[in-house]
This record gives sequence, structure tokens and C-alpha cells, in this order.
Amino acid sequence: MSDARRLLELGGVAKHFGGLYALSGLDMHVNEGEIVSVIGPNGAGKSTMFNVVTGLYGPDDGDVRFRGDSIVGLAPNRITRLGISRTFQTVHLFPNMTILENAMVGQHCRSRSGVFGSVLRLPSTRREEERIRAKAKESLAFFGSRLAGYRQDQPAFALSYANRRRLEMARALATDPVLVMLDEPTAGMNPRETLELRDHIVRMRDVLGLTVLVIEHDMRVVKGVSDRVIALDYGRKIAEGTYEHVANDPQVIEAYLGTKAVG
Amino acid sequence: MGELASRGVLRAGLAGGVVAIYVALVGLYTRFADLELVGEQITLGRVMLLAPALAAGSVVTRPRTVGGERRPVASGPGLTIGILTGLVSGATFALAVAFADWFGVDRIREVFVQISEALIDFLTFGLGVPSGLLALIAVSVAGGAIGGFARTAPADLRKPAAVGILAVLLLGLLQRIVPIIFVELGFEADWLYSPVTGGLTWLGALLIFAASAAGSFLLTRDGGRASERMRAKVQKAPAAKVGLLVAILAAASILPLLLGTVISEVLGQVMIYVLLGLGLNIVVGYAGLLDLGYVAFFAFGAYTTGLLTGAFLNTTTGAAQPALSADINFYFAVCIVALLAAGVGVLIGAPVLRLRGDYLAIVTLGLGEIVSIITASKWAQPLIGGPQGMRGVTKAEIFGLNFQDNPQHFYYLALVFVLLALFVSRRLSASRVGRAWNAMREDEQVAEAMGVSTIKFKLLAFAMGGAIGSLGGALFAVSIGSLTPASFEILVSITALAVVILGGLGSLPGVVVGALVLIGLPGLLREFEEYRALIYGGALVAIMILRPQGLVPNIRRSRELEADEASQDAWAKAATGEAEAVAAVVPGGALGGEPEDLG
Repeated sequence: MSDARRLLELGGVAKHFGGLYALSGLDMHVNEGEIVSVIGPNGAGKSTMFNVVTGLYGPDDGDVRFRGDSIVGLAPNRITRLGISRTFQTVHLFPNMTILENAMVGQHCRSRSGVFGSVLRLPSTRREEERIRAKAKESLAFFGSRLAGYRQDQPAFALSYANRRRLEMARALATDPVLVMLDEPTAGMNPRETLELRDHIVRMRDVLGLTVLVIEHDMRVVKGVSDRVIALDYGRKIAEGTYEHVANDPQVIEAYLGTKAVG
Repeated sequence: MGELASRGVLRAGLAGGVVAIYVALVGLYTRFADLELVGEQITLGRVMLLAPALAAGSVVTRPRTVGGERRPVASGPGLTIGILTGLVSGATFALAVAFADWFGVDRIREVFVQISEALIDFLTFGLGVPSGLLALIAVSVAGGAIGGFARTAPADLRKPAAVGILAVLLLGLLQRIVPIIFVELGFEADWLYSPVTGGLTWLGALLIFAASAAGSFLLTRDGGRASERMRAKVQKAPAAKVGLLVAILAAASILPLLLGTVISEVLGQVMIYVLLGLGLNIVVGYAGLLDLGYVAFFAFGAYTTGLLTGAFLNTTTGAAQPALSADINFYFAVCIVALLAAGVGVLIGAPVLRLRGDYLAIVTLGLGEIVSIITASKWAQPLIGGPQGMRGVTKAEIFGLNFQDNPQHFYYLALVFVLLALFVSRRLSASRVGRAWNAMREDEQVAEAMGVSTIKFKLLAFAMGGAIGSLGGALFAVSIGSLTPASFEILVSITALAVVILGGLGSLPGVVVGALVLIGLPGLLREFEEYRALIYGGALVAIMILRPQGLVPNIRRSRELEADEASQDAWAKAATGEAEAVAAVVPGGALGGEPEDLG
């Protein structure tokens, strides 16, 4: 049944900050191999939902299930190891580390060398380090020449804005995820870069076989990539379905101040 | 010159004058009035007389950033501004001297004990108050002029000149070491260092200046490309790298034979702080956890070494066995000490896991204080001797070497420990563990979200830092033989942190240089001893303002943005064609500019 395909499932998730309900009884799910877009006006609770799923915030109520098991209460690093990886709304790289090192950190949860292996440089450690490096380069190569070549040895702070966003995604891909969660990946990008990124999101599913959950404001991107769209407002789901269905939903239109221009 | 510049001149000049007055009040001038650096004329005291105005002149002519654009001052106006700043600075100082003379030196001395006729005499160049003050102002003007010029002159000129002058000053300061090395090596030193004054001869100073300036010119011309090329060459050829390492090791291993016991002892102390610095560098430099209580590990290492190797307690009636003790071989004991210290690191780390930044600093400061207080407490007397301490720590004898009574032998023991710690630090920094620490330092929350267990790696950093720091304590215990609480005060934490910061956070050569500057220089120049804290403070303030990345920065942290962007632009231009192709998107990682780099 459809339940077997459910990769991520949120049931009645609530999160409040003081008196402010960022999420109140949110139910939603993501199926395996889907690209799901989450839309909604500012303050609708989209990023809070991401933070709850990835373990940065604990939910006040409700349950988050990944592949059928509850992940509530797990440390963020454990959730990443289970196969959920993310980017942030404002770019959060390790600015003084090189681009390659940034991506290599992504492989941290898939490797295990400790102090002794590192100091003695055991054969197993060396092999693992090679593997980490290869995997990191593979993730960077996902974005073609953008993060390739000499750039890999440059500090991340030297990158252009768009490339920082790409690097953040490459780092997320380097964790060998099952589900990638992208928080406004096209924010601040120019139209050409946005188009390019739209294709990258599709490729994440078609080429890498990943499931993608994306928060996005650019409706051309939402329209272009989504198998399903979920609209949030005031921490609740107000609409769900195909892009056309959600875009024409009166509640959604009202949430976006009654203007149809967003469509 | 605009209103802005004149205000800057006034402000910097006044600051320079006030600094000069302060230096006079604490007695630095009189203390170093007779330390000849070059000939009889250039004494350290006179150099210091020049320094405040020089610094003021240099500060006031620094390039300013206006609206994101860097605007350097041209060298012509730079010189004028420098002279004016020096004039203000000198006038301020001269006024103070005149006041002191008029008010009566003896009356001032009741409060400021360092003020004396000798000081007034020194400041007025023996000419007395009215006429000597002009000389004082003239010196200040010269200082300001040099400062202004040094900052605004073309780089080809000022860099070699600065390097030359610094080399002369440094060799002048090292007048008790360099001649000894010369003599030990069988060279004549009289042409370089005058046997009368002890300082450099004019000929020697000139030769040093010429040689170092020429060397600097060759390395820094075409914007430092020559030195870059050389570095690249060394980095590319493994043989050159190994050769350099062997040369450094060889030099390090014959050093104590050349330098004699006194200086070897200083070097031994330096290396104890190198160990502390290396350990703290893991905690602060790699993992970004500001630990102000590092003395805890130092004390733990020292006392545990004492207890494990059969030291006994000092009591009023003689000696007593500690409540808990063993008598095992030092080399076995030191392994246990390091392991236990790693455990203590975890214990100290556990309660502060959730704390960051300032909070962490304050709590670790408190934990460090607790440890120092415990070492001095009556309560701990049966175990570690309390206020009276312990004595009879092992001499760690091996192969007939005595590490306690012979500083030259101790040097080698310390060298082995330092090399070991350097090796471990280096391997760790270039590993998965080091990467995790770095990521945590850069952004803890994101590191956690990317799969790094921040709890585990924080504890690991405290454990590794603690283990290396405890080795410093163990060495200290061996070198000194007896332990008293006075050696384990907060100053140790501060000094270790100063070593790490001065050298450059995260930089291994930086730790060595930092320890040499902060421990070695005051140790060699005993005159500095009572001003040690003042020098630490001054050095830290200066380094934070002028060179926040440290003396020998971690390469990663010192990369210059402009250079990167320039090369990036050039590359982007060449790759525009490819970028168009990328936009069309072909699946897979098959596309890309440099396939050979993609592994």
C-alpha cells in the first residue's frame, strides 16, 4: 500500500516558542522517490518543520517517523546518519575550510577513523580517507565545473554566493542521504542560476535516486520540480496536491494576501 | 591635510606621549638605559624612547577603508603626518618631564618610585631640563617620521628596511647567546659583538642590516612572488621537505651543546610551554573551545607524575609518604599520567558540553581555579602535600642521563616529548578527527547537522588536550624535582593561551614561536623578568590589533581574499564557455572543467 512507500511521516507535530505556535498539529508525509515542495508565506513554519525533522528542535507534540521508526529525540548527527540531510535557509558553510574539506565533512557520518588510526595512519584509515575524498569529489562533481578543479582547495568564504549554495548542497549530498531537505535553495540566485538549480533538483531524484523535500518561494521552480506540493500557513497544512491544484486553492491564495500573481 | 587628519595626528600624538610617560613611570627606561644594542649610542632604553612616537606615527598613517575602499596614505604626506605626530607626542612627554623637574623629583618619587634624577638625566640626554627637552622632542619627531615613512613608503623599500632594523635589534638583544655560539663553533665574535659594551659593533650592525635587508629584498620583490615560488618548490619536492626537517632537527639537537647550561635551562622551560601550547591548541585552536583553566592539566600531570614515581610530601617535621603513591619507572608512569589526564579531560569536558564561547571560558576558568586551590589546600595535604608541596620527584634517569640536575640533558627529554606532541597534533589536524574539530569550531550546530557528534568530539578534544598538557606537567615535575602550589596558578593558563594566540590559533610552528617569544625572550633577558606580565599584556593587545591571525598563522586562516578572488575571476573568464554548457545540464558528474582533478 501507499504506507510502505512512506519515507518520512509527520503526525500532529507541534512546536511553539513561548506563546507563538510555529507548528500546530502538522500532518504530512513524503513518499520514497518523490520531490515534494513546501510553500507558504513567511512565518508559516516551513523552516521550523525542517528543524524538527532534522532534530535541531524537539517537537512539543506529535511524532516524526523516518522509514517507519520514530526519530524524535535523536541527536541531529544520528538523524543525518540515518539518511536525512539538509541545507539551511541562510547559507551555513564552514567558511575557513576548503571546498573539498567542506564536502569531506559530509562523509564524516559514513566513516569511523578515530584518534589512533589517524595518528598512526593505519592502512584502513588511509583507505577510508581516500574513499572520503573520492566521495566528496563525486558530490562536488554533481554541480559540474562549478565546484571543480582548483576551487576545491580554496576556502569556502572565497566562493560566490551561488556557489556557496551549491557547495552546501554538495555537502548534503556527501552524507549519502536517502532524503535531501533543501531550504529555499534558489534564494538570492539570478534567473539563470535558478533554472540551472531546478534541473539539479530533478537530477537528484532521477540520477542519484534521492527523495527531495524542498522549501521554495520561486513558483517556477515549484511548478517545474514538484511531484506534490504542500502549502503551510500558521503551522498547519492548508493544501496538498499537484502544483495546479494547490496554486488554485482559495486558502492558499488567501494566505498569499489574495494575490494570484504568485502563481 | 584635512581636519580629519589633523585630529588623527593630535590623538595619536597624545596617545604616544601618554604611553611614553607610562613607560617612564614604570621604570622601563632607566632599567634598560645601559643595555647597549649597537655601539655605545644605541641602547635599548633609547630605542624604547623612540618607540611610542614611532608607533603613533605608524598608526596615524595607516591605510583607511572608506566605503569599502582601501586608501593608503602617500609617502610624502605620510612623512609630514608622522613628523607632526612625533612632535605632538614629544611635546606631551617633554611637558611632563618639565613638570616633574619643576615640581621636584623627590616629591614625585613618593608616589611613583621609579622617578629619579637619573631618569630625568636619561630623558634629557644629560643636557638638563630646558635644552635637553628639545633633544627629547627631536627624538620623538624622528620616531614619528620613521613610523610615518615606514607605513607609507613603497613596499620594496620599507620591507627590507624594517627586516634589517628588526634583525639588528634582535641580534643586539641576543647578545648573550649569539657570541657564545660563535665561540663554541670556533669563530671569532669580536668583530660582531663588542667585548666592551656587549652589544653589536657598528660594523657588525651594518653587516647584519645589509645582509638581512638584501635577503628580504630578494624574497619580497615582485610582491613576494620569489618567496612564494621557493615555498612551492619546497612543498613540491619531498626531498627538500625532508632535508629541511632534518636540518631543523639537527640544529635543535646540537643547540644545548653550543649554548651551555643557563640557556639550555631556558629552552627547557620554553619546551614545557610548547607542550602546554600544543595541548591547548587542540582544544582552542582546532576545536574552538575556549579553555581558561588549562592549568588543571598541568597540575594534574605534575602531581600525578610525582605520586607515581615515589615522591614524598614536605612536612614540618621532614618527609612523609603520600596517602596514595607508587614507585614506578618514569617512562611507564608518564603513559599512565597521559591516559589519566585524558580521563580528567573528559570529566572537565562533560559538565561544560552545552556551554559555548564566553560561558565556556568562565566555567573552565573556575574549574582551573578549583584545581589550583586544591593543590594549595590543607585538605589535600595527605595526598599531595598541600601548601608545603612535594619533593623527590624522579630524575627519570635513562642511559646515564640526569634530567633533573643537568639542563642540557633535560633539553633532550623535553625535545622528544615536544616532537611526539607535534607529530600527534599534525597527524590529527589532517585527519577525519581534525576535520570534525574544525567543522565544530566553524559552526557547531551545522557540524552536528552534518553528522558530527559534537558531544563526542568535544570530549575528545578535551581528552587529547589534557593528555598533551599533562605531559608538560610531567616534564615540569622532572625538571624541578619538587612541586609547590605556587607553580600551578592561573598565570599558567593565561601564559599557555597567550602562547597559542600570539603564535596563531591552530598553527603548530606558531606555538613554538609563541613559546620562544613569550618564555624564551624574558628568560634570556633577565632584566625583563619583572616586566613579564606587562610584556605579555602589551604583546597580546598589539597582536590582536595588528595581526589577529598570529605571528605564524595557520595557512588556512591567513589566505587573502583579494588574491583568491583575482584567480577566481581569471578562471571564471576562461571557463565561461563551459558554464554555458553546464546550464544546459547533462546528467551525472561526467561534465566538468578539469576531469583529472575529479578523481
